Amino acid sequence: MIDDMRVGALIAASSIKRGNKKTLAFIIFVLSLIFMNLVFLPSMIGGMTVLFTGIMQDYPFGDIVIEPSGDNTYINDADSVLQKTRAVEGVRAATKRLDVGASIEHKQKVVGVTITGMIPTEEYEISQYPYSIIEGDFLGDLSRDEIILGSIIAGTSTTLGDIYDDLGEARVGSLVDVTYSNGVKRTYKVKGIMEGNFELVDLNALVHYKEIEEVYGLEGSKATSVVVRVDQPGSEDQIKDKIRDAGVNEQIFTWADKSETLIRQALQSMGAINVMSEFVSLIVGAALILIIIYINILNRKKEIGILKAIGITPRSIVFSYAFLSLFYVCSGIVAGLILYFSLMIYFQANPVVFYETMIIRPVIDPVLLIRSIITMLILSVIAGTLPAWSVSKESILKAIWGR
Amino acid sequence: MIVVKDLKRYYGSGETAVKALNGVSFEIKKGEFVAIMGASGSGKTTLLRILALLDDATEGKYTIRGLQVSNLPEAERSYYRLTQVGYVFQDYALINEMSAAENVYVLSMMEGKSKKEAYMVALEALDKVGLKDKPDRVPDELSGGEKQRVAIARAIAKKPDIMFADEPCANLDTRNSQQVLEVFKELNDKYGQTIVMVTHEPWHVNYVDRVITLEDGKIISDEIMSERGENNI
Ligand SMILES: Nc1ncnc2c1ncn2[C@@H]1O[C@H](COP(=O)(O)OP(=O)(O)OP(=O)(O)O)[C@@H](O)[C@H]1O
Ligand SMILES: [Mg+2]
Repeated sequence: MIDDMRVGALIAASSIKRGNKKTLAFIIFVLSLIFMNLVFLPSMIGGMTVLFTGIMQDYPFGDIVIEPSGDNTYINDADSVLQKTRAVEGVRAATKRLDVGASIEHKQKVVGVTITGMIPTEEYEISQYPYSIIEGDFLGDLSRDEIILGSIIAGTSTTLGDIYDDLGEARVGSLVDVTYSNGVKRTYKVKGIMEGNFELVDLNALVHYKEIEEVYGLEGSKATSVVVRVDQPGSEDQIKDKIRDAGVNEQIFTWADKSETLIRQALQSMGAINVMSEFVSLIVGAALILIIIYINILNRKKEIGILKAIGITPRSIVFSYAFLSLFYVCSGIVAGLILYFSLMIYFQANPVVFYETMIIRPVIDPVLLIRSIITMLILSVIAGTLPAWSVSKESILKAIWGR
Repeated sequence: MIVVKDLKRYYGSGETAVKALNGVSFEIKKGEFVAIMGASGSGKTTLLRILALLDDATEGKYTIRGLQVSNLPEAERSYYRLTQVGYVFQDYALINEMSAAENVYVLSMMEGKSKKEAYMVALEALDKVGLKDKPDRVPDELSGGEKQRVAIARAIAKKPDIMFADEPCANLDTRNSQQVLEVFKELNDKYGQTIVMVTHEPWHVNYVDRVITLEDGKIISDEIMSERGENNI
């Protein structure tokens, strides 16, 4: 067995050393592309996930979000939750919100939206809503008959607007009629238009917390969510536990918990594409490796016959091809890694920009890299060994003289 | 050393079968240098491949040193090819990506020798064929005669009981052919190497001890050359 391996190594080494260098370079190049194909798209999608997660934190969920327990629509005593939460060490800020469904009408155009009731002065510490106003101003403490519209609803969005209905010409100062899900109607003046280049923001509308409380006749500080920001990024899990220990009996999620479920939903189609593309890459990669090795072996069928005829064991021959394809694939992986990191460095400096403001930097995921490397190595051994094994079983006469 | 009895090799079966060998019997003693001759298609190559364990006889007995080797399982045949039998191909059959020395010592490594030992064995064998000074040349950098001598070195490095050569000079000019035949003769004279060589050049018989002539798969003559160099066919 050891002798088989030594001889296999000698055969493989001489074939690499004295074989056609152009062919070798080409094989390694193709393999590096196969590797790139396995890791590049997932890295880009990883970058998108980071971007979306950031948006989730900046707008609806904060670092930690507290939601009603069980089947309840509301957190019952949000003020006491807020009091307990704010007392937890490491919590920077917290606020309550009320999300409700409604339709907005302006000049015969109607759009269905989610309206978030919030306490405007507290949002500066919590979210990016106050900073995403592109026209007009954010809500103030006294804004009782005023509304902020997302740019898609208003009809000013240049990026995502085309696919959604909008109010056409609702601008700062326009009056809009809102019909809440319980039938109550109100008229608001548009105070500002916000844009985050993300549906969650641009399809939303904001009013004062007290408006929702009043419209729905809520008492005792109800909330659909309490949004929390922490001092130290990374401390979310700890603080989540502390909030629970402080006696908050509602459901508590970190942004990571949320993105796990929510991003999975939001990116489900993308994730499916990712999985599919990975699968296709693997199949294509496996097929290519197999073809490369197989052609290589066919070209050297006579050589294999000679080796057998002079007494080299079939096992050595199989080893030599296993080593050979291992060498090809290792070189391909190294070349692929160089290519990959060069591209990563390039895209860190020159991120992909969607909709002018959505900046996507690919994310390097070591687990993905290691998984891809292991996959390629396993493939190479199979792809290298199977054809060699089948050819080495052929009769010597056939291999050498073709009959 | 080699005993062949009523060896038959048919290609195909039934009425249309080609009877390439049709009952061949002979014995080859240690230290003999035998030429197998005969017209094209008379079954020389077929016989040699069976003797070198590259092919199976359809019928008949074949023993090397009393051991029945016909119809051995492939693993054992591989072992015999490696340890007992040397084979020189008409077209050299060197591995083009290996140097002369590597072509030779890959076999010694297969037998379990260290790389260094194997290299020494290879040098010794290359020395015997007069190529001691060119161990690192690859086949492309050698003449046809030199290539054939590397192939001979490969066949003799393991000191086989018996060496087979199928028209080793078919691709060589007269001068190179003479060199190769000289090497055979010297191996035979000096080291007592048993050699069975297929040829159809009449002048080659000047180098051998014995000539077996085939016709249509049968032996039609088996002559001992009384004194080398004087016989002509
Ligand atoms: N694989 C095969 N299938 C069918 N017939 C074959 C095969 N190999 C050889 N033969 C036939 O067997 C006979 C003997 O062939 P062989 O190659 O042994 O002749 P040879 O004496 O070596 O001829 P040459 O001097 O031309 O090399 C020929 O008639 C040939 O056509
Ligand atoms: Mg022949």
